[in-house]
Amino acid sequence: MTKKGKMKFSDIILQGMQDTLYIWKREFRLTVRDQGVLIFFILVPLLYPIIYALIYNNEVVRDVPVAVVDNSHSFKSREFLRHVDGTPDVKIISYSSNMEEARGLMRNKDAYGIIYIPSSFSKDIARMEQTHVSIFCDMSGLLYYKAILSACTEVSLDMNNDIKIERAGNTTDRQDEITRYPIKYQYIPMFNPQNGFASFLIPAVLILILQQTLLLGIGLSAGTARERNQFKDLVPINKHYNGTLRIVMGKGLSYFMVYAIVSVYLLGVVPRIFSLNQIGLLQTLIMFIVPYLAACIFFAMTCSIFVRNRELCFLIFVFTSIPLLFISGISWPGAAIPPFWKAISYIFPSTFGINGFVRINNMGATLDEVRHESQVLWIQAGVYFITTCLVYRWQILNSRLHVLRKHREMKNKRLLDSREAVE
Amino acid sequence: MKAERKKKYISLYNVSKRECKNLVSRPIYLFCMVIAPLFCTFFFTTLMGSGLPTNLPIGAVDQDQTSVSRNLLRNLDAFQQIAITERFTDVAAARRSMQRGDIYGFFYIPHQTAKKAIAQKRPTISFYTNSSYLIAGSLLYRDMRTMSELTNGALARETLRAKGLTDDQIQSLLQPIVIDSHPINNPWLNYSVYLCNTLIPGVLMLLIFQITVYSIGVELKEKTSREWLRQGNNSMFISLWGKLLPHTIIFFIIGSFIDVYLYCYLKFPCESGLGPMIFATLFMILAAQSTGVVMIGTLPTLRLGLSFASLWGVVSFSISGFTYPVMAMDSWLQGIANLFPLRHYFLIYVDQALNGYPMIYSWNSYLALLIFIFLPFAVINRLKKAMLYYTYQP
Repeated sequence: MTKKGKMKFSDIILQGMQDTLYIWKREFRLTVRDQGVLIFFILVPLLYPIIYALIYNNEVVRDVPVAVVDNSHSFKSREFLRHVDGTPDVKIISYSSNMEEARGLMRNKDAYGIIYIPSSFSKDIARMEQTHVSIFCDMSGLLYYKAILSACTEVSLDMNNDIKIERAGNTTDRQDEITRYPIKYQYIPMFNPQNGFASFLIPAVLILILQQTLLLGIGLSAGTARERNQFKDLVPINKHYNGTLRIVMGKGLSYFMVYAIVSVYLLGVVPRIFSLNQIGLLQTLIMFIVPYLAACIFFAMTCSIFVRNRELCFLIFVFTSIPLLFISGISWPGAAIPPFWKAISYIFPSTFGINGFVRINNMGATLDEVRHESQVLWIQAGVYFITTCLVYRWQILNSRLHVLRKHREMKNKRLLDSREAVE
Repeated sequence: MKAERKKKYISLYNVSKRECKNLVSRPIYLFCMVIAPLFCTFFFTTLMGSGLPTNLPIGAVDQDQTSVSRNLLRNLDAFQQIAITERFTDVAAARRSMQRGDIYGFFYIPHQTAKKAIAQKRPTISFYTNSSYLIAGSLLYRDMRTMSELTNGALARETLRAKGLTDDQIQSLLQPIVIDSHPINNPWLNYSVYLCNTLIPGVLMLLIFQITVYSIGVELKEKTSREWLRQGNNSMFISLWGKLLPHTIIFFIIGSFIDVYLYCYLKFPCESGLGPMIFATLFMILAAQSTGVVMIGTLPTLRLGLSFASLWGVVSFSISGFTYPVMAMDSWLQGIANLFPLRHYFLIYVDQALNGYPMIYSWNSYLALLIFIFLPFAVINRLKKAMLYYTYQP
């Protein structure tokens, strides 16, 4: 008896494997043939990163145009301005005679800032009094402000030191240096030495693209399956499609295969084309991306239940990319995200995917340092696998119910027909 | 003649009525036109509600362990945007903590710093930031650098006092030239002001693109396009007007609500007053709807039209230049940026609400939006042909 039972069990396993393979093959074929899904799985991952990289390719703002109002007209003020103009960040486009003229330049967007030097500038310095240089910045972009402020600060610090040395009346160069800075300090911007925009944003966008295109592609194919099905059901009536596990595994496997290739392109090739920071170890990256892809795929399969029509997935999923990028803590620091949104962010694989990938790719973190992220991703993969199974189970039951109901209706009709015929 | 005109109005009314029924019968419209924009408004303004991130966690590597170093770190911790949360014995441990994402930067004070400083041997202190997180990195840089300057000042002050100078003299000696910065109309450098004013209209615009394309494309897909045209007196123009007018009204209500919420409730800078911004919002909505019509007109398939709308809507955020300035992009991209209505809305916002310039200074942005509004005339015939002869392929 037991032997017979065991045989049966192994048969089930065998049949399950065969069905999984069948579904895997069928889904793969459907994916390749569906132009809409291909747009999301191939075209978007291929083109989007390139568009973004082209936009942010220059990394930093150079030569922000500023207007100058120099009321001092002195040797010292001209020295200050010459140095400011010499920095890479700022370019002086006009020497205006008064503030009104300079403001006019700003209104016409010829200048994005004004440097105002008071008439007492060089007198104050000669008299050993503090003097104030005012800068006015257009706040439409923080990068303008940052460029103008850092250029002026840099120059003022340099000039201050020279003035300090002049006044201190030291006798040796060494003493000059010490007066200048009793303690030297140095700034080391790690993992993105030029403070560039592309190096900061593109890695996050790449990871987000993986999740969003999966959501869209899987949503689209779910919508298609429903539209093709005569009862608007997700699961077709087919002898291979009669187990939750095999459907979920079969489908998941076929998506995974496509995305393994897409990931290689997105995470391996794109950063290389645009020579972005890429210091992660390959095996760490693989170990991290596998749970991310699994979490994304099952998350997308769970969400696809909401897609009743093919095209609805555009309307539901596309706009979420923007909030998801912000909630991940890459631009707005994670430490400053309010607890409520922090909790919400735990729903999405992208939050952990982005943080983990940025750390591995940009900062050379090892698997040990992204343990928290990879653990959460594994948990998410597990949870979403279960939810996917549940919703598919529900869908299978639904489609069986629909078939049975239809069958009963037909039967009743036939009965009625035959009765009528007899009468 | 008069009867003809009356007939046109009646058909316009009929198409609008038909569209209102559509809007009510499909929950996706409620989701995309009301729920999603309001959710994003609420989301972004609460996410960045503090304006500037406070208490960013940093580490301290204090190998000196003297009153000088402790004083420095205590003062650094007192900065509003910094919180020293961890202490390490060496740089490698601090770096690992940064790689784990626990801290955004750290301050390193090596052995015998105070001793060397007193002996005038010029020791070096260093600060490290994680610039992969650009905003956190640049905020930390500012405060850590200020702190380094202050420490130097404090030490130099002692030397100069010893030389017999008064405090006023010392102050002007240490910092003869001071830079006073005036960030015009956003003195707090509030990130919420800086980002939300364009992010939220951007989301609204993306949804308008999509809803416009969807509402027209779905007529093709469900083979109701001929009926739609018939109701519109067989005029594509009337049919479009009738269909999109209810959308315009709903979007305008939502858009005005967002303006009131941002400028009246949250008190974001609005130098021009609310009126010009609501006017700009109306222009933006009309321009976005017209762009939507152009999208489905050039690619009269629901799926391709929506792909086009999504691509354009999402790229808007990057190319409109409110985070990364357009002037820093390659010149051909600067030209392309003009093809995105969000770019022009952003420029109008900067002129009107942020800087409070007279409206005349934004004439070219308004003109650009106006061109967008008239663009559908270029595709109206193509669209009509599609409505009459096109068959949906999944």
